[in-house]
Amino acid sequence: MTNSKILKNNYNANNIIVLPEIEAVRHNPSMYIGSTDLEGLHHLVYEAVYNSIDESIAGYCSKIEVILQDDGSCSVIDNGRGIPTEIHKKENRPACEVVLTKLHSGGKFGLETYSFTTGIHGVGISCVNALSKKFTLDTWRNGFHYRQSYSYGSCITDLENLGPEDKTGTQVTFLPDSTIFKNLSFSYHIISKRLKELAFLHPGILIKITDKRNNSIQNFKYNTGIIGFIKNLIKSQKVIHDKPLYIKHYSEKRKVEIELAMQWTTEYGENIFSYVNSLNTQYGGTHTYGLKIGLTKSVNTYAQEAKILTNKEQISTFDIFEGLTCVLSINMKNPRFEGQTKTRLTNHELKDYLAKTINTYFLNILRKNSKLATLIVSRALEATRTRISVRKINNIHRHFNFIDKNVSNIVYQKQFGIRSKNWHDSAEWITNSELLSHHVNLLKCDKTARLLDVCCGSGIVGGAFKGKVNKRIGLDITPEMIELAKERLDEVHKGSIYNIPFKNNSFDVVVTREVLHILSNPLKPVSEIYRVLKPGGQFIVGQILPYGAEDATWMYRIFKKKQPLIFNMFQEEDFRHLLLCGGFIDLEMTEYLLWESIDVWINTHETINIHRHEIKDLFYNAPRRIKDIHPFKILPSGEIQDLWRWCIFSAKKPLNI
Amino acid sequence: MNEIYTKKNLKEAFIKESSSANRYLYFAKIAAFEGYSEVSQLFQDFAEINICNAHGNLDFLKNYGDPDNNLPIGETNHNLKHAVFSETSEHNEFYPMMASIAHKEGYPDIANWFESLAKLKKTYLDKLEEILNRND
Repeated sequence: MTNSKILKNNYNANNIIVLPEIEAVRHNPSMYIGSTDLEGLHHLVYEAVYNSIDESIAGYCSKIEVILQDDGSCSVIDNGRGIPTEIHKKENRPACEVVLTKLHSGGKFGLETYSFTTGIHGVGISCVNALSKKFTLDTWRNGFHYRQSYSYGSCITDLENLGPEDKTGTQVTFLPDSTIFKNLSFSYHIISKRLKELAFLHPGILIKITDKRNNSIQNFKYNTGIIGFIKNLIKSQKVIHDKPLYIKHYSEKRKVEIELAMQWTTEYGENIFSYVNSLNTQYGGTHTYGLKIGLTKSVNTYAQEAKILTNKEQISTFDIFEGLTCVLSINMKNPRFEGQTKTRLTNHELKDYLAKTINTYFLNILRKNSKLATLIVSRALEATRTRISVRKINNIHRHFNFIDKNVSNIVYQKQFGIRSKNWHDSAEWITNSELLSHHVNLLKCDKTARLLDVCCGSGIVGGAFKGKVNKRIGLDITPEMIELAKERLDEVHKGSIYNIPFKNNSFDVVVTREVLHILSNPLKPVSEIYRVLKPGGQFIVGQILPYGAEDATWMYRIFKKKQPLIFNMFQEEDFRHLLLCGGFIDLEMTEYLLWESIDVWINTHETINIHRHEIKDLFYNAPRRIKDIHPFKILPSGEIQDLWRWCIFSAKKPLNI
Repeated sequence: MNEIYTKKNLKEAFIKESSSANRYLYFAKIAAFEGYSEVSQLFQDFAEINICNAHGNLDFLKNYGDPDNNLPIGETNHNLKHAVFSETSEHNEFYPMMASIAHKEGYPDIANWFESLAKLKKTYLDKLEEILNRND
């Protein structure tokens, strides 16, 4: 049903002017607000807020308030000049009515043109109106309070003068149309996060959010701008240099304003937050390309000048950006964006200009402060060295069968030694209690049993069997992990799974988890486990497996990029086969699905920066059929949540051999 | 010895997955024209997964280089040089030779098709050179 029909049923048709443009918005809302899912719904709020931000940029508004009302509607209130109510000559209607019912009509009525306007679509508040079941405008101007009501984009009352009131400002209250939006519930969390960003991007302005549904209130007001934003983003991360680095540049000729704040940390990922006219360009674009080219050039030029690099050497962009958190905010006329939902800037002319400008400014910063410059260049060189050593791991693997196993032990020891520092925070699965209980529930031995936790890491799995068995013994090759495991297990030994340092028939139960896939010849350790088990003894092993053959190659690529030591992406059948070939019988399997944050999982030293990009891309552009069988989510923030299929097997060594 | 075969095999697997992906896309279009939407979707899905797998072969080859010409691949400066190398050989040798064979065998239309491809490759080369010169 079109809105005109709805309206004709409910209201006096004579009062209604349904404009074709409003029909167009309602017919194809995604074209105007990106989508009709939660993101699109929130876009309505942002579009209203952007109007107020524009007033503040123009210097007339210091306070914006967003109220999520009890009835599901949302109000946006500011103390700006108030939307004009004077009669618009050409349309012969009050200017505010024209603003609310015609696309691209904001800012043309008496208000001097804003230098930069906020937002992406430039369609303004009329879109919010078109997609709302109810919409009320209150405007305080020229000493009076005016009100007008709308429905589905058309006015249902004339502009009323509610009498004198001594203030200025605008309030819009809208209830989104349930026939357009799948989900009508505003998220306090998402909106407040966005408002906080806006408060950082517009220092001095007070932005308040009130959720009447559960009485949450937050005020955002920052005077520190994007430098404060950076500090807020990095929180307690370990920094490479004391203060964020800051660049600001304005070109009158090009009408472009560039603001950049950067902080290098010891983290592995890169975090680029980029904004164009306050809009979060989540997928970057020509401005972030320019940033990358400019920074790469300045760091390399400096490193050459300071003779840190020899003539032909180059530090790659990926290495320079490792551990960098930065906020890039551009204000410009006529930004162009790609696609409807993809917020990627496409103004081609900006790339080279930005690269040149950032190169000039940053090179200057580096030249002026050699201590700082050395820290930044060393940070990048360290990333380069890590990348080369990862490549070496690959080379070692090429000749794996021909080399002494001890060499590979060193690789494992080194890697897990580094990872022991934040092992428990490096993935959800490591400490997830429900996953552990699935291992414990398979236990068939009594309390007198001797348990071996092989490749025990910090001893989490063996630790979960506390009180269920008599003695829990750990085995690992990494000294740092052994120290951690001592806190959880009765005793911990140093040794390799390829050559378990225990006699035949020593244990009633052996447990391990997510280990066999990183070993080049998994049958050997399975045989070792079989050897040290008593006849009738039990092997409990947890492993992440693909959902089927179709997602296996895709997962293989992701896991290998995350962890170059991976040798196998077992499928369920392979894994059963491996256990049976090792001589085990009575296989049982429990399946447990666990959400894992990919962003957390890949924030680790063995995953090089370019691999992090590639892993994210594999999720963002996953083949359709893989999406059908392998559940994962991409949150509005771009964060990836993957549902991992844990298979926990129990197998027995036969009693009579 | 094994290592050399495996490198070549990765390249072979890359070619297989890439060409079948393209073939499936071609088949999918025909199926759609003929009204077999389910078959068309199936072919498209296969193509999409095969492209992902073709890239999986390159994940490995990135560590070794292209076995056909021993050129490194992986980072953009290497990739640009690799592109110049392969487009040059297609422009100068591969397609002109194909065209001359087609002429000899009496297929002037196909010969012209190959010649057109050779010319197209020249435009690629010009663009690549332009970018390489700019970056120097």
